[in-house]
Amino acid sequence: MEQRVANSLVMTVNEKRFIESALLSDIRVDGRRPFDYRTLTIRFGSEDGSSEVQLGQTQVVGFVTGQLVQPYRDRPNEGTFAIYTEFSPMADPSFEPGRPGDSAIELGRIVDRGLRESRAVDTESLCVIAGKLVWAIRIDLHIIDNGGNLVDAANIAALAALSTFTRPECTFGGEDGQELIVNPPDEREPLPLIIHHLPVAVTFGFIGDDNIVVIDPTHYEEAVMGGSMTATLNTNGDVCAIQKAGGAGVLQSSIMQCLRIASVKAGDITSKIKNAVESYNTQKAKRKVKRHNPAPAVSSVAKNHMERLTLGSDESAVGQSNNMDIDGQSNEQDKTNKSKNTAKDLTGGPASWDPYSSAVDGDELRASLASRVATPLEKDKESTQVKPDETKSTQQSTDANSIAEIHETVEVGSQKKQAKTLKDAVKPKHKRKNKSTSKPSAS
Amino acid sequence: MESKPSPSTLIDQLVVPGDVILDLSIMTSQTIKLGGGLRQDGDTISVMKAGTLRFTKPNKYWVESSNKRYIPNAGDNVLGVVVDTKPENFILDIKGPALAHLPVLSFEGGTRRNIPKFEVGTLLYVRVVSANTGMNPELSCMDANGKAGEYGILKEGYMFESSTGLARQLLSSPPHLVLEALGKKLSFEIAVGINGRFWVNASQSSTVILVGNAIQKSESLSMVQQKIYLDKLLKSIQ
Repeated sequence: MEQRVANSLVMTVNEKRFIESALLSDIRVDGRRPFDYRTLTIRFGSEDGSSEVQLGQTQVVGFVTGQLVQPYRDRPNEGTFAIYTEFSPMADPSFEPGRPGDSAIELGRIVDRGLRESRAVDTESLCVIAGKLVWAIRIDLHIIDNGGNLVDAANIAALAALSTFTRPECTFGGEDGQELIVNPPDEREPLPLIIHHLPVAVTFGFIGDDNIVVIDPTHYEEAVMGGSMTATLNTNGDVCAIQKAGGAGVLQSSIMQCLRIASVKAGDITSKIKNAVESYNTQKAKRKVKRHNPAPAVSSVAKNHMERLTLGSDESAVGQSNNMDIDGQSNEQDKTNKSKNTAKDLTGGPASWDPYSSAVDGDELRASLASRVATPLEKDKESTQVKPDETKSTQQSTDANSIAEIHETVEVGSQKKQAKTLKDAVKPKHKRKNKSTSKPSAS
Repeated sequence: MESKPSPSTLIDQLVVPGDVILDLSIMTSQTIKLGGGLRQDGDTISVMKAGTLRFTKPNKYWVESSNKRYIPNAGDNVLGVVVDTKPENFILDIKGPALAHLPVLSFEGGTRRNIPKFEVGTLLYVRVVSANTGMNPELSCMDANGKAGEYGILKEGYMFESSTGLARQLLSSPPHLVLEALGKKLSFEIAVGINGRFWVNASQSSTVILVGNAIQKSESLSMVQQKIYLDKLLKSIQ
């Protein structure tokens, strides 16, 4: 008996009376007004399709994964998706590990209904071979901390994770063109899901005898409220789902007012999710560009670091150049336009290289490099460290390395920063050519 | 770890389990009192709990740390919530590992005839009489002399949760910066339990909410930040 009591939230009569009386003056215990949401933070993990949402003290983590399976027989050309919720015992003392309780199942159902009934995720695009193979999307929601209003936070986590999830592209190949190849991410760009709209869940609590409405209840308010309602809507003004399971009876006019407020809040939340997803995607794109086109315009601190590495890295430079050749070849299509153009311009050899060719906009290059200067060195990736090391070492080495000579002549007539960038883009080709024609004294 | 011949080097410092703070072979015939977080290991006194080492004259040492959960100790004043009533005791939750018992007669002038009626969820300010590991702690609504003092039921107001460290800071003298600053402009009453709970009451709900949130927030701010935060807060009230 003691264990059970200790597990549930201990509420005093003072709290219940106080929450109700404070609401009569339109103020809530954490200082919010009745229709204010708590601060919402959306973060993403390192993998596509993982999100972490913080709504006040409530924390939910969402993961989206995909698998190729056989479709259901009555829907042979549609993919499937399923939602799994896990209420971690560290979120709340009343959560037990093992079988999900009633509230866990209800939460899963609300999120699922919002996405499925409204057809927010396009399932027909998930079909690979009709009747045989489709993508099954699995959304896992883990509750990390229960500060109240798990439904809204879990819904946002699911939407954010779905918006950043990418699945590998499937192509047909093989000898007869009938074999299905699932292309890994480095060969072909993985595809995002097609999401038509974002159904956002907004939860209301009804507190006290007069059923005063509050939005986004904390877990103390949830303990004293008489009933709750969750409305799932999108910014197009569609009501995707409404959930009111038991609890106090509410007037029809109250429900209509709640729906009106919910549509306003849904708009706010949708724009927040979209902004977060956009900044995540631009970060991802930047990372990709950097990986194949390292910015050698590093700060002076980095320069000193590079100088120290000069002594030992010349030997390693040769070995690494081999890797870079292979990288350069396979990543041609991933490079941005500017590097492609400069590569073409440089086929004639260093003498014909024109840093001010029309394809290259020097100012733009410098500006984009300047914005990326700080970040490359923070990355742990071996490849990005290796390449700047190598370029710097060859630049600063004063021995009769033919590669160094080429760089020095190039540097004479061009902006220093610009030269480094284009050199890097070009270097693999140069090295390849030199290796096949003559043996440079690269050591 | 080398033993510290003069224990004063570690006082008010952060210590971690395994640190040796006293070497008894050096000290000659002195009685020292060990509080929580310290243990005698043969000839040395070593630390069991991470926290700050404290010392009061003439000979008391203990380790202080701030937790969300409370370990009951005799003599503490805590805020308890009634969760059950039995013929002999009221069962209270004091944020400790076990529920505590408050005998029905432990009130000033308490007899079998005038047992108070507390419903589930009543907030009480009580004193811990005894707390042994494995047993339920014993509480009382009287001080050591049998007077009621300030113990008893707390009506109205709102109870906020905090850590044990913040509760100790609120009870220290000189008074905590937040209490002083808020007390100059607002009038409210506050009861602090060393078990990480404090109760605030004022004539207006907004005052209660303001005071409670300000205190909770001040825990994570440094002294300078607290001053800035309080200045801004009090200006916005005017």
